This record gives sequence, C-alpha cells and structure tokens, in this order.
Amino acid sequence: MNLIVPLITVQNFAGIVSLIGAIVVLSVVLFLISSASSYEDKHEVKEKVYKARKRYFIGLASVAVILFFSSLQFLPYPKNQTTPADKIVTVVAMQWTWKMGEGVSTLSPHDFVGTNEITLPANKSIQFVVSSMDVNHNFAIYNSKGDLVAQTQAMPEYENQLYYTFPEPGEYAILCLEYCGMPHGFMTGKIHIN
Amino acid sequence: MLQENPAEQKRHKKLIVIWSVTFLILFPVLIALGLLMRLNQGEVFKIDPGTFYALMTLHGLGMAGVLFSFSWAALFYLIGTRYIKLNIGLGYLVYLLVLIGTVGLVIASLIGKFAAGWYLLYPLPFKGVSWTGWSTGLTIVSLIILGVAWLLGSLHVVYALAKEYGSFSNLMGWQYLGKTEPEKELPSIVLITTASLVPAILSFIVGAVFLIMNLMQHFEASLTFDPLLLKNMVFFFGHTLVNVTMYCCVAWVYVLLPEFTKRDWKVNKVVVYSWNGTFIFIMFAYFHHLYMDFVQPVSLHYAGQIASYMSSIPATVVTMFGLIVQVYHAKIKWSIIPMAFLLGMAGWAIGGFAAVVDSTMSINKILHNTLWVPAHFHTYMLLGVVLFILGFLFYLAHNNKEERDAVKPGLGFWTFVFGASGFLLMFYLGGMKSVPRRYADYTGIDIGNVHETGALLAKTAGGFVIIVLIGLLIMYGSLFSKLLKASK
Repeated sequence: MNLIVPLITVQNFAGIVSLIGAIVVLSVVLFLISSASSYEDKHEVKEKVYKARKRYFIGLASVAVILFFSSLQFLPYPKNQTTPADKIVTVVAMQWTWKMGEGVSTLSPHDFVGTNEITLPANKSIQFVVSSMDVNHNFAIYNSKGDLVAQTQAMPEYENQLYYTFPEPGEYAILCLEYCGMPHGFMTGKIHIN
Repeated sequence: MLQENPAEQKRHKKLIVIWSVTFLILFPVLIALGLLMRLNQGEVFKIDPGTFYALMTLHGLGMAGVLFSFSWAALFYLIGTRYIKLNIGLGYLVYLLVLIGTVGLVIASLIGKFAAGWYLLYPLPFKGVSWTGWSTGLTIVSLIILGVAWLLGSLHVVYALAKEYGSFSNLMGWQYLGKTEPEKELPSIVLITTASLVPAILSFIVGAVFLIMNLMQHFEASLTFDPLLLKNMVFFFGHTLVNVTMYCCVAWVYVLLPEFTKRDWKVNKVVVYSWNGTFIFIMFAYFHHLYMDFVQPVSLHYAGQIASYMSSIPATVVTMFGLIVQVYHAKIKWSIIPMAFLLGMAGWAIGGFAAVVDSTMSINKILHNTLWVPAHFHTYMLLGVVLFILGFLFYLAHNNKEERDAVKPGLGFWTFVFGASGFLLMFYLGGMKSVPRRYADYTGIDIGNVHETGALLAKTAGGFVIIVLIGLLIMYGSLFSKLLKASK
C-alpha cells in the first residue's frame, strides 16, 4: 500500500515533497528580497523572467501529467480491484460505535447486528462493505504503529466498498474520521489480525 | 477611470475603516477560540466536548465569513474609489447584514451550543445531542442572511463593472485574445474580480439552496434529502468561498504592489488565459473533498484531481512569475506593505502546494481528514490571505507614498510570521503522524502514539498561537490609531 517504495509511507512522501516545495518557495523569496536593492529596467527583467517562465510552464505541466498518471495505479476505489476479495465484512457505523460482522448483510443498517471488534486473517484481501444508519462517519483503519492505512466514508443510504489486505498479524484500531457529534473522538473499534 | 469626487471618496474611506476595525476586533477573538481548542487538545485544560465543537463551529464559520467579507469589502473600496461608481448605501447594507448574520452565529453557538461544524454535514445538524433545536434553525437563518449579503454585494460589483466595460466577455478579457490591442484597457483588478466573484455568486446560489433545504427539514422533520447530493452542494459552496477569498486578495495585490515597484501589472493575453482558466478550475476542484465517498462516480474524482492540479498552473505560472517581474531588481524599499504582499504570495504558494499534494487521490486516501487538511488551508489563510489583509490595512492607514515607505516590518510583523509558521508546522507534523482532525482531544485513541503525539503537537501549537496574538497586538499599537485618523 506504500506509494513509491515500501520504505516511504504516503505520509512521509507528502511531508518530504511539501518540505522541498516550501524550501524552493522560501529560497525564491529570499533571492527576490536581496535582488530588489539594485535596479534593472523592467523590459530587461521581463525578457529574462518570461524565458524562465516558459521553461517552468513546460516543466510543471510535464510533472503534473506524469504524476497524475503514475498516481492512478494506487487508487483506493473498488473499480481498481482486479481480483475478488477473500473475505467480506459488513460494517455499519452509528452514533457512536461500529457494528461489524462477516459476510454480506441483507438486513437494513438499522437491523444489522454486529460487534465493534472483529478477528480477520493476515495477507488475505478483505472487502469492507461500509454504511451508516444515521449520519456521515468515516471508517479509518490504523495499524499498531498508529499510522492510518486505509479509510472510506460511512454514509447513510449508500454503501462504500473498501478493499484492504492486512500485511501482518497484530492489533489494528478503527477510528471515526468524519465529525459526527459530541463523542466523535471516542467512536472506536478493534480489528485483531491472526 | 472614475472622476474623483472627494465627498464620495470620504464616504468610501469611512466604510472601509468600519470594516477594518470590525475585522481587527473579530480576527483575534476568533484566533482565541482556536487557541482554546488547541490547548484543550494539548490537555492543558479541559473543555467539555459539546463546548469544544461549538467553538470549532464558530471558529470555522467565523473565520471563513470574516475573511471573505473583508476581502470583498477591500475590493469594493478599491474599485469604488478608483474605477467605477459603486452604491455606498449597498455597501453599508452588506455590512449590516454580515453583522446581523455574525451575531446570529455567535448566539447559536455560544448560547444554543450549535456544533455541527462549519459544513453542517447533512443530516448531522438534525441528529446532534449537544445542541438545542432552535440553534440549528438560527444557524441556518444566519447563514442565509450572510449569503444574501455576499450575493447582493458580489452581484452589485459585477453588474456595475459589466455596465462600465460593456459585457461579461469584456470583463473576462476576451477582447485581448484577438489580433489587435483593445481600445479600452481592462484593469487587472477588474478581470480578477470577475473571475472570482462570478464563481462565488454561483456558489452562493447553491449554498442558498442547500440552506433552504436544511431549513425545510428543520420545520418539517419527515422531509429528508440525499446526503451525497447535499455533501456535494456544501463543499462546492465552502471550497469556492475559501478559494475566492484568496483571489479577491490577489486582485488588490495586482493594483497596490506596482505603487511600490513602479512597474505596471497589466492585463495581457497570458493573464487573460490564466484567469479564465482559474474561473473554470475553481468550480471543479471541490470534488477532491469527496474522494473518500467511493460511491461518487470515479469520473468526478478524476475531475477533482485534474482541476486541482490545473489550478496550480495559472496561479504559479502567471501570478507568481508576474510577482517576480514586479520585484526582481526593482529597487524597492521593503516597507511592511510590499513585504506582506511578497510573503503572502509565498504562503499561498506553500499552502497551495500542500493542497495539491493532498488533492492526489492516492495520497488523500491516507491524509484525508487528518491534520494535514487544516495544515494546508491554515497556511493559505494565515500566511496568505491574512498577510494580504495586513498589507492592505497598513496601506489604508497611511495617506501617502512617503508614509507607506516609512513603515517597516517591525517586531510585531516578524513575531506574527514566526508564530504562524510554528503553529502551522505542528499541523503538518500532525498530518504526517496520522492525527485526526476535528477531535476535541485524543484521549480516546488507543493505538500507537497517536494520542501522545497529537496532544504534544497541540500544546506546542498553542504556544505558537500565543506568539501570533502577541505579534498582532504589537502591530495593532500603531495600526488602530492610524486607521481611525485616516478615516477623518
């Protein structure tokens, strides 16, 4: 589930890229501040800057296109799932707990009965069928290190399909990541991976 | 260009000073709400969750509302005193309605404890347990009043501009796309105002429909609506409002910065293409808020990422490079005004870049609703929009070029920038450590070190917010009295 290589998590990738971006911007700012003490004719400046702008435009457009297409292989959507899941789990969110059970439920979210702890196997593709019986919630899975590894919205009247393969045995936590009312921060669940 | 009328100019100045003083009072109060929230998350003291979320709702709605209102008011002043005649009476009406709407929101959240968040994510407003029923109704009505104020104000400005420049296509600069130079020059502020306020008008209309639907359910509980549709509507409204706030500020930077660089910043073909592109991208980028709604058609997720990526092109290629042409070897005296504009552009670029990173679907699947999200929009607001506003306020408070060149970015300004940077860094680190956003505190999280990390970062951020407030206070020392004097 990592983005570029297994050693870089998505979080670190975003942090490093943004830090580089910020350093570039601040360097330009410092350069501009220091340059502004001397004078050059506007037309000459324009000519120089516009040349750089053309190169920048081509560079930025190319990077944007490359990043756009290369990022598409990591999409979280069910459409990108090529093989069927090994196990299906129904998840219903309610203010302020989770109901989970194996298999596809034919009951309405209100009637569905489940628990907020579940045991699942490692290295098997799991399809979570996620909905809500009241307001919007967000089904987010955290690994034992405290890193968010997968998420989808839990919505009333809709079902979101989330596929995830737990890479190793251990304890995982479920947090609600969509504000859903006063005890939102305590709407947790557990997944035990064998 | 407008014929100068001293009496009219004075009335405009009075109105913008009223807006300015209101902004200068409300802004630190709203920051103080944020400070309370961060210190509660940092476990420095304990606020009950119901109160926390009411403060969060007021902070979000208040900041977005105040910042947009002021950026519109500054445009109203600049356009009304330099380019075309605007109806000052309408300006006062907008101010009055904004004030009434704000008072309504304050009552709803502080007394009625309304706490459904700025986005009133349907159907939460009707399913909360910590707030009163009347506060839901009052919030909806107050937001409708604010929406009417902004709609009236924006329609008036765009209509008056269209009357002056002939048509909507002229306002969008299409006459520059032909082979010959147009006879009548289009000021850059007019182009950017149009490219910003027209999408804003559309978003206000969608926002109004959203609010009316909510109001209908408030009075008739059996009436319900599609939650995915309403989610799309509210994010279209909210995302556009925040984007437009920034663009309104950029519009005045195009006008005021050249007074310090002595280099004009005119409309040309590239500028027209850029802001026409922005006009389109503003309206489709909001889809990135719904990436985690897997049932939304995937094509709309794609549209969100494409629009978000594309929006970085005109912003950086044209405005940032335009800024470089303005500043590079321009022999500027770095008074607080051009410095605030330059750093504001940097804040926009840095926050915008972090936003583009998060608008990548494959990254958003991990960063969505973590502290990364407030990290980037607070950067965009605090070190972008607010710096632009401070630059504008210092411009307004001084009456001539000599005075404006003489006011240096002193201790207050740098304290503010330092405090803001530290405060923002804590949000970014929180996002990288998967700390969730919109949590009253992290005591319920029993996995890894999320609780401890979140609390430590929040406490540290609280310290930086205090530094921000000290910086503001130092700047206020001179700003307030000069502003009041300038209005006489």
